[in-house]
Amino acid sequence: MIKTDVIIIGGGATGCGIARDLALRGIPHCLIEKGDYAAGATGACHGLLHSGGRYVISDPISARECYDENMILRRIGEKCVENTGGLFVRLPGDSKIFRERFLRSCDEIGIPTEVISSTRALELVPALNPEIEEAIRVPDCSIDPFRLCMLNMKTSQLKGGLSFTRHRVIDIMRSHGRCTGVKVMDTGTGEQQEIFGNVIVNATGAWANAVAKLAGSEVPLTLSKGSLVITNHRLTDMVINRLRPASDGDIIVPNEAVCLAGTTSLAVEDPDKISIEPIEVDTIIGEAGRMIPHFNRTRIIRAFSGVRPLLKSQKLDSREISRGFQIIDHQNGMYSIVGGKLSTFRLMAEKMVDTIMNAFNLKKECETAYQPLDGQEELSGYPLSKRLADMKNIVCECELVTRRDVEKIIEQTRTRHVGDISHRTRLGMGPCQGGFCTFRALGIMHDMEILSPEQSLGALRDFLQRRFRGIRHALWGDQLREEQLVEYIYLGILALGHTIEHH
Amino acid sequence: MSIIEYDVIVIGAGVAGLTAGTLLAEKGLKVALVTSGEPTACLSTGCIDFCSGKDNPEEAIAGLPAHHPFHLVTSKQINDAADDFRRKMARAGLSYWGDTSRSRLVLSAIGTFKTTCLVQETMQASPQNEQEKIHIVTFAGLKDFYPGYIIARLKNASFSTFDAGISTTMGIASLFEDESFLETFLLWLEKQNIREDKIAVPAVLGLESAAAIKNKIEQHMERPVFEIPTIPPSMPGRRLFNCMKDCFRRAGGVIYWDWQATGAEKSGRVIEAVFTESQGRPNSLNAKAFVLAAGSFVGGGLRADHHGISENIFDLPVLTAGKRREWFDQDYFSLNHRISRAGIVVDESFRAVESPWDNLYICGAILAHVEALKNGCGHGFALATARAAAESLLETRR
Repeated sequence: MIKTDVIIIGGGATGCGIARDLALRGIPHCLIEKGDYAAGATGACHGLLHSGGRYVISDPISARECYDENMILRRIGEKCVENTGGLFVRLPGDSKIFRERFLRSCDEIGIPTEVISSTRALELVPALNPEIEEAIRVPDCSIDPFRLCMLNMKTSQLKGGLSFTRHRVIDIMRSHGRCTGVKVMDTGTGEQQEIFGNVIVNATGAWANAVAKLAGSEVPLTLSKGSLVITNHRLTDMVINRLRPASDGDIIVPNEAVCLAGTTSLAVEDPDKISIEPIEVDTIIGEAGRMIPHFNRTRIIRAFSGVRPLLKSQKLDSREISRGFQIIDHQNGMYSIVGGKLSTFRLMAEKMVDTIMNAFNLKKECETAYQPLDGQEELSGYPLSKRLADMKNIVCECELVTRRDVEKIIEQTRTRHVGDISHRTRLGMGPCQGGFCTFRALGIMHDMEILSPEQSLGALRDFLQRRFRGIRHALWGDQLREEQLVEYIYLGILALGHTIEHH
Repeated sequence: MSIIEYDVIVIGAGVAGLTAGTLLAEKGLKVALVTSGEPTACLSTGCIDFCSGKDNPEEAIAGLPAHHPFHLVTSKQINDAADDFRRKMARAGLSYWGDTSRSRLVLSAIGTFKTTCLVQETMQASPQNEQEKIHIVTFAGLKDFYPGYIIARLKNASFSTFDAGISTTMGIASLFEDESFLETFLLWLEKQNIREDKIAVPAVLGLESAAAIKNKIEQHMERPVFEIPTIPPSMPGRRLFNCMKDCFRRAGGVIYWDWQATGAEKSGRVIEAVFTESQGRPNSLNAKAFVLAAGSFVGGGLRADHHGISENIFDLPVLTAGKRREWFDQDYFSLNHRISRAGIVVDESFRAVESPWDNLYICGAILAHVEALKNGCGHGFALATARAAAESLLETRR
């Protein structure tokens, strides 16, 4: 039996941020996550650290929060934030009135802007559509959400915080109307255990209502699905936004060696049952292609969706709903923190922990805005030269991940999930989408005797099935050729398909 | 512009293209083959799958759906194709085992069994069930071979690791061609105190003299030795390609290497020439007849974009397997992806249905309804359809 002060449910950016904040204020805590860190909306976004420009007209308060957090995160997290800068580009036909409102609002709120000519914009981003009218420069950044969660958890771990990934909360225990703890189940082994605490924080995003129900409470949410595509090239070094009211496919974000473009916005009911429509992929490519024409010819390596948990509103178009966040006190020892966005995760965590501190009459100021994220020394951006030095042992050629990198993660986490290795090393995130390196990563697990005979091919099959879900909507051209080769390798050369018939 | 005129131009240097080309050249025709580069055959296991669904490939072929192009080939042609292939490969120094009336199994690199028909001599002793006692020898640093996968499934298997100083399949294969390396390897192997009945190695036993190298290890260790096919780069695939290429050249064929076919000159009901591009230079090759064996998507014979599927050299009508959203099944492993049915529909003369060209013959993976993975119609299908297409071409000439 485990006893702690604060139980955090959910290992997205918010949950991980809360764990770090509690750790820095010296509060014992335990984080439970049903998958891996950043497995929900956090890991399924475009990784844009907003300047605030995107919301400056629809939601000025959120916009200012974004700008402030942007400044904080680039200071405390230089190894997971890339200061790319961003452009809002105006295409022929885009409203000039909107441009005026945009500039005026940025000015009022205090977001610095610089209007630049199309010639200057093309110098900065040569792949831009040469027909753009003009561009407005804003301080957007790109952020690695996986790395961000890991670094937040690092502080928690250093200060003795507990965390369980791949553990699902199956019940919330109550006594005299107050929550006293949670019952969790290891999703791998089915083993159950109880964790007791004084406060429960429900930071489960799109799953918040389902978790709240375990304690007899409710969280009114509107779920909005956003789909994105990834290209196999870094087509731009700056974030590119469309200068118009928020719409489909108006953001392109560079992230390491690739680009992400999105998003769409469609109301959904169940966060576990989402799929992508070919029309969404076509829309994103079409719209992104108007800003960067090469989008129409480049290889799309994956299409995926995340679910935004938005506060319930009567407004029909979910894009109009506030991106602001809210803390709900369920009056039974459980709080839910919902809404918000990746860019403001730290602020959300701060407010959440402030609320808890107040409730228990504890006094200790939040330090998360001043202390650099722990664990960054071990990362050094994109150390190409260092990785190439060990060229012979590279197992993921797309992202230059070495055998040693993979072994280290397996030693640390004892994981049997290839996804856990990907989130920590970027293995399999490049153009082949793990087609070649997953076979190797699982082979290394075999060498390290982590996999049982039953798990051996099961893990490979699960991975391929999951991978297929992400890539099947973006298969044509050379990407299709590569995929057919991967299919031939697994189902033809390795005869992975035939084992299924026997089972 | 080239002014040489050939009797036949073959497009594609895979098993289908080289088979058709060799057969036609042997009949005294002046044959040229154009290829954009190495064929996908180089990536294969080198095994010849005809139709691997059942114990007996011939029966499996008979049981294929009515519109499957295998039904356009007679069983005599299938048997002739297999016999002729084995004879030619043996002459080129690459013996194949097996026949079309019996399926055989090959142990894969993840411990599953791949069903096939003809195998290279180095895979002849591959186990036929999970109980066989085998000892796997792997090589230090080999990126794409993990004996742990096999050990997890075969209860009577063990392994040891030899450090060859090189960690690529191609590198190790070239070391094995050197006698002194082989001797060092045998000395090491002796000391491993192997108790199992058979010795397995990843497919790295040389490029040219694989069977001889395997025989030497067998004699020395007094037990059968076999290769386990690896994922690309694949030495058995390369051996197959090299030998087929030699056969074609010996028969008098000419290969235009790195010549990408880009289009065709047409006149009335005939193709006059194919346009090609090599190092950016346009060219054209004239011939009396043409064989299209450019493969499916991986090979480059078919091309998909987000509107549809096309064949871009002759602009032939393509059976396109529905709209893009229907190309793939939800389940990765179902083997029912409609896109694997895409291709060119041909009649019994192996000419495209609904196309006006009298002198264009089509064979191999580019044909519609093949469903290569589902039906196990691999190189064997290429051999048989190439033979049938070549015979049809010869028939028409007469």
